[in-house]
Amino acid sequence: MIAMVDCNSFYASCEQVFRPDLWGKPVVVLSNNDGCIIAANKEAKQLAHIPMFEAVYKIKHILIKNKVTFFSSNYTLYGEMSQRVMNILETFSPSVEVYSIDEAFLDAKGLSHIDMYAYGFEIKERIYKYTGLPVGVGIAPTKVLAKLANRMAKKIPKYNHVYIMDTDAKRIEALQWAAIGDIWGIGKKHVQRLQAIGVFKAIDFVNLPLAWVRKEMTVVGERLWKELRGESCLEFMAVPNPKKAIGTAKSFGKKLPDLGRIEEACAYYITEVAEVLRAQKSCATYVHVAVYTNYHSTIDKQYRNRMTVTMPIPTNDTFALIAQARKALHCIYKPGYRYKKVAVNLTGLIPEHYVQGNLFEKRSKILDSNLMHTLDVLNRKFGKTTVSSAMIGTRVEEWELIKRERSPRYTTQWRELLEVGL
Amino acid sequence: MEIEVSGQIKVSNDRHQAEVSKQTGFPSAATHYMEATVDLNEELSIHKDATFYVRVKGDAWKDFSILNKDVLIIDRSLQANFDDLALVVQDGGFKILRIPFDKEQETFVLWGVITYVIHAVR
Repeated sequence: MIAMVDCNSFYASCEQVFRPDLWGKPVVVLSNNDGCIIAANKEAKQLAHIPMFEAVYKIKHILIKNKVTFFSSNYTLYGEMSQRVMNILETFSPSVEVYSIDEAFLDAKGLSHIDMYAYGFEIKERIYKYTGLPVGVGIAPTKVLAKLANRMAKKIPKYNHVYIMDTDAKRIEALQWAAIGDIWGIGKKHVQRLQAIGVFKAIDFVNLPLAWVRKEMTVVGERLWKELRGESCLEFMAVPNPKKAIGTAKSFGKKLPDLGRIEEACAYYITEVAEVLRAQKSCATYVHVAVYTNYHSTIDKQYRNRMTVTMPIPTNDTFALIAQARKALHCIYKPGYRYKKVAVNLTGLIPEHYVQGNLFEKRSKILDSNLMHTLDVLNRKFGKTTVSSAMIGTRVEEWELIKRERSPRYTTQWRELLEVGL
Repeated sequence: MEIEVSGQIKVSNDRHQAEVSKQTGFPSAATHYMEATVDLNEELSIHKDATFYVRVKGDAWKDFSILNKDVLIIDRSLQANFDDLALVVQDGGFKILRIPFDKEQETFVLWGVITYVIHAVR
């Protein structure tokens, strides 16, 4: 059996743990730059007139009128709380696949001797007790079915956030309950095509002939079809695959016309992504840089452009990457526009030890970079960009994201601990 | 471009030899008595996935010897027993109280049991 555990309204729940005054009240979390709503708790979702992913400035009056509390995203807090949840899950199974910040699969293969109901409830209770975060648990024979069981645990109140699909009768019942679009891995396009041939429920899908599924939906569809029939096809990935691309594209706090500040932001983002790159021990072959003006603005002239540079040798050296990104930026930057965003993206990622040198540059020069290691150690210990390239400059606050309503980093900063007794 | 001459064995500057102590005097009398240094996380049994640190503002709880600016160590994994100090939620706000004998009577939600109080003396 496989268990799928996910946190309910994770971002909002993280905020509420430390704010009992908001328990039972509507809470939403805003995207980077406070642009739009990216997460809402149950109470906020019940206020049907709050459109998700809507630009905040358009609906701020609705939020205020309905006494919805809104937070800027506090990814430091969410990441740390997520780590706690995952650590606790590891006490329940030797094999945990972290699927996203708030979801994980647990392999319960060797646990056939224990009562799955007790197991599921224990997971839910323990995570809530230790962290204050509510979770849902779905247990079933395959990953796709576990995901479906999790959905039932959440959507059908009588199950109380834990659903165990331990008989074939329950599997059939679940397939009759679930709409085709509810199935994990069936996208919008396939839903339309399936509905066109009369497939509306998951049960209709598994009753299709395998030959049709294979022909129309490739091997991906075939795997889903088999998984839904109880045959496990999706690998368990206890160790995550390294990322194939690492990028960041955050809007500036305000529109920037001059190259100088954009260069600094670009160098800052490269610094961030290069750190991620080194953490997974990869090197990047290509650096993509793109600039954008504000697409929504009616008063600004519009411009956008992008450029890709190939690194002479794949690298994860922050300074080498900044130098190339800067060249690209100089090519695509045009004066006379007010820029809203610069995006950087590293692709062509290969493992550090596969990097080949070329005729003109020695591989060892790049790999023996104790400097980068030292930089990472210092910055981890003393805080982000304690030591960094001078390209970042000192005007970060002039372009960085607006996070007006960010909550304290309760669990990672000694100076921002939860305060009681005010 | 650097050309490396082949057919010649370069002598490394690093001498690879087994690491042996150059110490020749009387061996430390403590050799067989070495132990790990006291680790507060260990001693205070900090259960890191369930532990939260909370700062106190004001002297509302000085009767519990909990003073302004103290930091509470709260272990949410613990069951609250009679006489434990705990951080609880009452009427949407945090409070510190001693768990009464008959806890069913009370109208509070337990947030976590306080295990230690860090009080700075300077």
